[in-house]
Amino acid sequence: MSGSLQTLRQQAWQAFEEKGLPTTRDEDWKYTDLSRIQTLLGEQWWQPAGTGAVAIDMVELPGLDAWRMVFNNGYFDPARSELPPGVTITSLASLMQDEPAKVVDLLAYQPDAPLSSGLTAANSALAADGACICIPANTRLDQPLYLLHLNSGGTAHLRTGIELGPHAELEVIEHFHGQHSEAGLTNSVTAIRLAAGARCTHYRLQLEAAKQCHSGRVEVSQKADSSYQLHAVELGGMLSRCDVISRLDERGASCELGGLFVATGRQHIDHHTRIEHNAPYCSSRESYRSVLDGRSHGVFNGKIVVAKGAIKTDSAQNNANLLLSPDAAVDTKPELEIYHDDVKCAHGVTVGQLDKNQLFYLKSRGIAEEEAKQLLTVAFADEQLARMNNHSIRRFIERAAFAKLPSITDLEGMLV
Amino acid sequence: MSETRQERKPEEFTGREYEAGFVTDIETDTLPPGLNEDVIRHISAKKEEPEWLLNWRLEAFRHWQTMQEPHWAHVNYPPIDYQAISYYSAPKSQKDGPKSLDEVDPKLLETYAKLGIPLREQEFLAGVAVDAVFDSVSVATTFKGKLKDAGVIFCPISEAVREYPELVQQYLGTVVPTGDNFYAALNSAVFTDGSFVYIPKGVRCPMELSTYFRINALNTGQFERTLIIADEGSYVSYLEGCTAPQRDENQLHAAVVELVALDDARIKYSTVQNWYPGDENGVGGIYNFVTKRADCRGARSRVSWTQVETGSAITWKYPSCILRGDDSVGEFYSVALTKMRQEADTGTKMIHIGKNTRSTIVSKGISAGFGQQSYRGLVRIGKSAEGARNYTQCDSLLIGENCGAHTFPYVEVKNPTATMEHEATTSKIGEDQLFYCQSRGISEEDAVNMIVNGFCKDVFNELPMEFAVEANRLMEVSLEGAVG
Repeated sequence: MSGSLQTLRQQAWQAFEEKGLPTTRDEDWKYTDLSRIQTLLGEQWWQPAGTGAVAIDMVELPGLDAWRMVFNNGYFDPARSELPPGVTITSLASLMQDEPAKVVDLLAYQPDAPLSSGLTAANSALAADGACICIPANTRLDQPLYLLHLNSGGTAHLRTGIELGPHAELEVIEHFHGQHSEAGLTNSVTAIRLAAGARCTHYRLQLEAAKQCHSGRVEVSQKADSSYQLHAVELGGMLSRCDVISRLDERGASCELGGLFVATGRQHIDHHTRIEHNAPYCSSRESYRSVLDGRSHGVFNGKIVVAKGAIKTDSAQNNANLLLSPDAAVDTKPELEIYHDDVKCAHGVTVGQLDKNQLFYLKSRGIAEEEAKQLLTVAFADEQLARMNNHSIRRFIERAAFAKLPSITDLEGMLV
Repeated sequence: MSETRQERKPEEFTGREYEAGFVTDIETDTLPPGLNEDVIRHISAKKEEPEWLLNWRLEAFRHWQTMQEPHWAHVNYPPIDYQAISYYSAPKSQKDGPKSLDEVDPKLLETYAKLGIPLREQEFLAGVAVDAVFDSVSVATTFKGKLKDAGVIFCPISEAVREYPELVQQYLGTVVPTGDNFYAALNSAVFTDGSFVYIPKGVRCPMELSTYFRINALNTGQFERTLIIADEGSYVSYLEGCTAPQRDENQLHAAVVELVALDDARIKYSTVQNWYPGDENGVGGIYNFVTKRADCRGARSRVSWTQVETGSAITWKYPSCILRGDDSVGEFYSVALTKMRQEADTGTKMIHIGKNTRSTIVSKGISAGFGQQSYRGLVRIGKSAEGARNYTQCDSLLIGENCGAHTFPYVEVKNPTATMEHEATTSKIGEDQLFYCQSRGISEEDAVNMIVNGFCKDVFNELPMEFAVEANRLMEVSLEGAVG
């Protein structure tokens, strides 16, 4: 390990020891209680489990043609991976060994970064593996890149870096999957850098096992005219929190964040997003939807910050929540912080149950109440998924999402 | 149109000096600065208060000493030295106890006249009973007789403590408890006066009740306490308006307003706040840290807050409704203007507890110059609030490239039958709107005024007639030199 990397690790560890886990007294963690992680995994919850030597059963995403990197409990599994030629894609572990200097930048822990917490520090200190992806200028992969993170319980810290050169293009899928019955924690940080004119479509699919906790952080920094599109889907895990930070640092950059939560039982899902408009002529769109059943709890916090001088900012945000059960709850907070007058920003939030008029309409057409409810629920969630251009992923998510809602019987018949 | 006229930018029109800035020279009976239990005992003794109230104050003070000053609001101001504030100031002339307007210190009347509030004329013309608060002691109360016939109690709270102790004791501190927050605790310990209103069962208050506040004595924090109780089936509309003389020292104003609405009662509370905002460099100005809360205790009760906030250096207030009674309704309509170096962090809280409770929030923020403005609101729909409904709209208008507008709406829903909608927009005055008006021969200033007026209309419509006129004028005056 090189000197500077070691210093970095030590500093991050110190920061983690000082900070510990955030508590609900923290404004950013007001609605999400992380003490559950300790209850589940004990005082040494941060201790990484295993070495990834054991291959975990594969999952199939039917119809998806993609280059793939498979990870077992946070460790790269080269045997089951298939990487494209001509671009630099390696695992963090091997890069750390070969060129440790390159990793320092990626692993750096910035205590003042927005939404950074003890979990981020722990990640900087302990991340042992991940994916390092570098797409050179004017390059486009012929197929999407599929990062499959298989978990079988225990704690895993992952760090992924994605860098796109000028006018490069990438479709990347991060898929977190687990089918075990053990308690566990995935602590993932993904840093994405887009050079001028680069385009990145990012699918982030969270289908962890029932007793898994999930903490994610996606940090995107964008140069001129670059565009970033996120499709976040939260289906699994018992406690899931994801922070998405998008910085529009140069003129003409744009981002589009989309999210869908489908939660049942006692699931708790929390997304905090922060879009920083730091330059003129940038635009952002954000749309999050949640379907909450059982005793589940959804949290959404979307913050848009428009810096002084970011003229002609165009930003819109929407959050819609559907509560299906009397015990489900939602806490949402769409925030705007604007320091310049020449901007156009709007946000909207709705919370409610299924529209009575719509139900009545369907019933008057001879559709049974239960079926009408299913139809409307599916339609509500699918509106979010319709933004996905990758048909295989959309179909996969639709099946996984609607299978969670027990009342939906004839799913195939409903899907277009 | 001349060349220079055309080149003027909207922000040039926001620089108007504070109109109501003058100090009336009245001898005041003021305590030396500082706060301890003796000061509280002194205030209590001066007011000839009963034992229970003194103990209540002392309890609040002891609790306050254990509290931390909050800093979460999106505002910046130098630390406040609570020991440098004088906690009691009463106009000397109060000792003679004016029974009617004729006995009131003519200088006071002159002050009101300068502000365009002809106290005497109001009695006849506007049909408004005015409980004028000059610094901390009420000096004139009009229309007492007429209100008495209706059974309405409208008097300074210190008088109510003497005359109707059982009513005050029953309700005081039940909406905003003494330990509710830092400033409410401080207020509970040292409040000097304010208004007390009781509307008996089934009575519709025959006139609009109005209090004009003024902060006058140098270096005096003003701690008002207002308590309004609307008994079953009653109705009252209460107006509160404020202006303050120009001065360099920052002044702390930490008022508490408590409203209680029982079954089928309705309270309409309107505020026009135009305290001294400080000069263009942010020197001086009032700190307005107010706790206002309404408790809709009864079924089908209804409370509506309307506020027009153009003054104060720092505004920090959230008029709130606790919708406890089934089918109760809470409303919040607000226009807030920040210009120069003013900062405001304001909004509302709607706490839905009862079934089929409804709330509406309309907030319009205008930010000009270096003004910073935040809307901070909470809509909480509890588990028991079956069929609750909320509609929230908060819009911000930005004038000039150095101002800021921020929105922090909290939405917490724990009942699936609730319907909640929130919308917010932020934009500047449209260049095309301005151009359209100007192409029709309307001057830029008038055009901006028209657009701002249209922007605020939803809220002004909720104000009582006389106030709406005043509010309109206030906006125009405030924006002059800031806009067009």
